[in-house]
Amino acid sequence: MSPAMNAATSPASSDALLEVTDLAVEFRTPDGAVRAVDGLSYRVEAGRTLAIVGESGSGKSVSSLAVMGLLPDTARVTRGTVHLAGTDLLAMSRKEHRARCGDQVAMVFQDALAALNPVHTVGYQLTEALRARRGLSRGDARRRAVELLDMVKVPNAKARIKEYPHQFSGGMRQRVMIASALAMDPDVLIADEPTTALDVTVQAQVLRLLAEIQAERQMGLVLITHDLGVVAGVADDVTVMYAGRAVEQAPVVPLYAAPAHPYTRALLRSIPSASGTGSLPVIPGRPPSPAAMPAGCPFHPRCDAVRDVCRTEVPPPATPAEGRTSACHFAADTMTGPGPDGEPGVVGRDTGGDHE
Amino acid sequence: MGRYVLRRLLQALGTLLLVMFVLHLLTTVAIQLNGSPAQAFFGDRVASPAQIASVEQRFNLDDPCFDQPGNPCLGPFVERLGQYAQGDLGTNLRGREISGIVAAAAPNTMRLFSVVLVTWLALGMLLGSAAARWRGSFGDHGIRLSSVLIDAFPVFVLLVVYRYVVAVPLNRWSEQTFGENSWPPYWFKPSFDSSHPWATIIVPGILLGLAGSAAFIRLVRASQLESYQGDHVRTARSKGLAERRVVLHHVVRNSSVPVVTAVGLAFVEGLGGAVITEGIMNIYGIGGVLWQAVRDDDVGLVIAVVTLLAAVTVVVMIVVDIAYALLDPRIRYE
Amino acid sequence: MNDVGLVSATWRTLRRRPDVIVAALIVLLFAIMAAFPRLFTATSPRACAIREARLDPQGWGTPHPLGTDALGCDVLATMVAGVRPSLLLAFVVVGVSLLIGVTLGLLAGYYLGWADYLISRTIEVFLVVPLLLAALLLLSLFKNVDLGAGTFSVILLPAVVLTLFSWMGYARYVRASVLEAKNLDYVTAARSLGASDLRIMFRHVLPNAIGPVTALVPTSIAAVIGTEAVLSFLGIGVRPPATSWGIQISQGSEWVLGGAPHILLAPLICLVAAVLSLVVLGDALRDALDPRLTA
Repeated sequence: MSPAMNAATSPASSDALLEVTDLAVEFRTPDGAVRAVDGLSYRVEAGRTLAIVGESGSGKSVSSLAVMGLLPDTARVTRGTVHLAGTDLLAMSRKEHRARCGDQVAMVFQDALAALNPVHTVGYQLTEALRARRGLSRGDARRRAVELLDMVKVPNAKARIKEYPHQFSGGMRQRVMIASALAMDPDVLIADEPTTALDVTVQAQVLRLLAEIQAERQMGLVLITHDLGVVAGVADDVTVMYAGRAVEQAPVVPLYAAPAHPYTRALLRSIPSASGTGSLPVIPGRPPSPAAMPAGCPFHPRCDAVRDVCRTEVPPPATPAEGRTSACHFAADTMTGPGPDGEPGVVGRDTGGDHE
Repeated sequence: MGRYVLRRLLQALGTLLLVMFVLHLLTTVAIQLNGSPAQAFFGDRVASPAQIASVEQRFNLDDPCFDQPGNPCLGPFVERLGQYAQGDLGTNLRGREISGIVAAAAPNTMRLFSVVLVTWLALGMLLGSAAARWRGSFGDHGIRLSSVLIDAFPVFVLLVVYRYVVAVPLNRWSEQTFGENSWPPYWFKPSFDSSHPWATIIVPGILLGLAGSAAFIRLVRASQLESYQGDHVRTARSKGLAERRVVLHHVVRNSSVPVVTAVGLAFVEGLGGAVITEGIMNIYGIGGVLWQAVRDDDVGLVIAVVTLLAAVTVVVMIVVDIAYALLDPRIRYE
Repeated sequence: MNDVGLVSATWRTLRRRPDVIVAALIVLLFAIMAAFPRLFTATSPRACAIREARLDPQGWGTPHPLGTDALGCDVLATMVAGVRPSLLLAFVVVGVSLLIGVTLGLLAGYYLGWADYLISRTIEVFLVVPLLLAALLLLSLFKNVDLGAGTFSVILLPAVVLTLFSWMGYARYVRASVLEAKNLDYVTAARSLGASDLRIMFRHVLPNAIGPVTALVPTSIAAVIGTEAVLSFLGIGVRPPATSWGIQISQGSEWVLGGAPHILLAPLICLVAAVLSLVVLGDALRDALDPRLTA
């Protein structure tokens, strides 16, 4: 259906820790195969943070489960590669793939209360992989567990490793989750909505902690979120996903300054600001169901700048500026075009022939 | 934890007292409506009022309240509680101490239950885990189908068919094949042999265990499926743990909580099954004693054995609760 | 109302399974047998001639299609006559205990407080005595009470005793689902709009609880049929002169090796067919109504 999105990224460059190329994931459903991720590419380098932003169902979590080899039985990868430190994880056997997880790439899940095992102590869960895979002794494991909890700034770590997840507060639990992902010193950390379940004040603390640890260890961090507001202070690069595809990829500063896709623009507008007084604009409509994808550009039914061509043709990847991509027929215009009040028709008219 | 156990113990004691009171009330009503069970002592003979009176006195049935419908008979109840507290369960119709009968019968019931428990766990854990692990596969459907089939054969039917149809030919065949003094003929003996208690209890025990295993298989499968879908299993896999470890420490371990509860409930069901099994197979166990007492109209013995089994049930329930608290840390701190 | 949706969805799930249809037909057949025994045999179960004892099955159209038993009674006639008390007992026991269980569970879950305490403790007490043990105790106590020979009289005692010790499961289920349903937003909304307790219970809370409980019904009916057979085997179930499958199994078991296995097999096959059909129905209902248990 769509060609490889990311002409801008050259495959398998040496300094990328994690490089996903043209990934596609399908779910088997009673009504046939449904594509949840379609041609996603991104790269994460040491010491950098990539934010993947999208609404629920946009494929952002499914793509990271594919990287970790944790897709449910009903899903399978139909296309693409996932290179971790130069080797393709998807070409490996399930067992080899599993062995890379935790060790080189680890994951922090959204709901720590569900993601931690309720019947094992926190200390046990922090060091389970170390004991099972690296043969750490009981005493070493205990010392390491205390170190890990200290690192994520859980007070009174020595006593708390003997407690169970339900005895921790939400923020502390998420710190435990992060510590257990860091136990084996991974090169890349994927954090799937790590702060969504938390109070706003706690969110900020946990994000700051993630950023600190990432900087200190020069890890690659993939931060998955639905909230562009969270991204600004933490990320270096941003990938915006819509309906299983990356609609825009750019470094964070230029993206905020001048979004090159109407969806990104709409997302940015719906971030509440401290000074804002008026009502927040919302994006009308709902994301399309992967089973009933609209023809042409998947975003066209909700786009405020829709043109005829959007209804019939899938936009090819465009490079509106150095280091940026956008899946919009009118990427360059969107980037330079007027704000929300501009007449969409006027914007598109004289540059309509831009696309080939 | 200690406090929790203490609270549970006190609660259980209260329940047991209530159970005994309910049983007492029901018995009292029955006697008031039905006339004195002392007549059963004489079978079909006509007894003189003096003879009846002496039997009634022996079985504590001489209180006038038993002739007054609606009277809860609290006096005899308190008296009986006092006797039970001293370990005195009364006597059966032939004057034997019930505590002695029970003590003699208990080992065989324990033998039966150990076979039953092994069958439950072996079938339930193995088949249930396999069905959950390979959910939706051919094997899963097969296991499911067999659990429905098992349910369709009540233990009573299984045992009647076994004893009257299958056992005798099997016994004869194994005698000819393996010789008269080998083990197989004893396994298939159609009734219990007290000189070979284990050998003659194995098959009835397996049948009783089989009858109860269907619910087990389903429960183990359902609770493991729930565990497999749990986020914590995904976390364990994301740490790169071997699948074997994930299954043992995160799936089986987590689903052990409902399974232990089920063992407790199944045990209570199994008590009923044990009565049928021991009755039909002539096993001299507590259930067999009860079965025979019902046939002989030995009401005193029936009451004593049912009360005793209720007490055993209460104890099992406490053990289950404590095991539950040990297995699930979330319970302990409530 | 989403009741209609639930019913039609349940029907759709059930229709796809041929075993369910076969099971339903078997249950229907036994129900007809109980209601109109004359359709199946013209012989009276009590017309017994000892000279004709233990005849082998003779095939359809003969006086004794399934042979005769040890007393010369027609096996088919006895078998058909045994359906009514067995089924009637099962339906009465399950129906009444359902009523008791749902009512108490609803009261306990809805009002909580002392009502819940009282009901929960009662449940606990009754759960401690297994059904069969309670039945053995009470039925042997009441064995000599004469209640007459009417259709209901012969099953009255076992019905009362079995009901007394089988309502707790329903009560627990209903209580749990009521606790769950009570905090749903629309129930809170209905309450804040001033709906009466009764209205909330029957319109909003009960429909939520009824699904999983319905799924228990066929299996419970099967369990009662099985228990009745045991009690009759011991001579404390259905009263003579009425007969039941349990009584026939008890009598037939002695003749299996004596050359007349049909006396045992006829009632045994009926018992297993009835129980198996009900279990299959229950399994299908559980799948349709309790989605948590399906894969």
